[in-house]
Amino acid sequence: MLILSRKSGESIVIDGRIHVKVMRVDGETVKIGIEAPYDVPVHRREVYEEIQRSNQGALTRQSAELPKLPLAAAAKPKRVTVKSL
Amino acid sequence: MTNTDVIEIDPVEQDEAMETIPFCNVRLPEGLLGFEHMKDYLLIAKPAEAPFRWLQVKNNPSLAFVVIDPACFMPDYQPDIPQSDVDFLGLFSPDDAAVYVIVTVSGVRRATVNLKGPIVINRSTGLAKQVVIANASQYSVQHPLPVNGNAD
Repeated sequence: MLILSRKSGESIVIDGRIHVKVMRVDGETVKIGIEAPYDVPVHRREVYEEIQRSNQGALTRQSAELPKLPLAAAAKPKRVTVKSL
Repeated sequence: MTNTDVIEIDPVEQDEAMETIPFCNVRLPEGLLGFEHMKDYLLIAKPAEAPFRWLQVKNNPSLAFVVIDPACFMPDYQPDIPQSDVDFLGLFSPDDAAVYVIVTVSGVRRATVNLKGPIVINRSTGLAKQVVIANASQYSVQHPLPVNGNAD
């Protein structure tokens, strides 16, 4: 892990195209600004960890008994639209 | 089982006989978060269990994930797929993609779905990825499913 010290207002550049700026330091909380190309996903680490835990809890055996959805919901669904396309 | 390479599985049309349960191959080169080593799956649609489907681990068939098309219960679900994932999957139009969300079943009366990390599948190639959607903060990782018997 690369460790750098920055003051409020100072920045770091990653891969020449991702800019991380310390906006403000307020006690224990650091407000961070991130400028990245549109195609680079940026998330709080907790999101990845949440999804990982959710996957782990979801893994099952095929003998599992499944819930019954209300009848209306079991009708043939309209296709979900993918927002970015 | 019949292999349909395109994911247009319509379980309503199928016979009850085991021999005609449709399935297709799905490959996740990056696996699932926490299960990066599990890359090859069969997406199986058993008619009696519609609209739920199984994403079965190919080299360990006793392991599987329950998945569901989110349009079944949330027609306005709009996952924002990052462009890098769109490119990775070779998607050019919304119709190219099949979106499934993973279901956590905790009994016949309780199930939740992960709306932050859907599995997006290229319908023609079966190439897929668990995508962390750009608008993940708008949705829950434990969204309750409206199952029969629950007061809503």
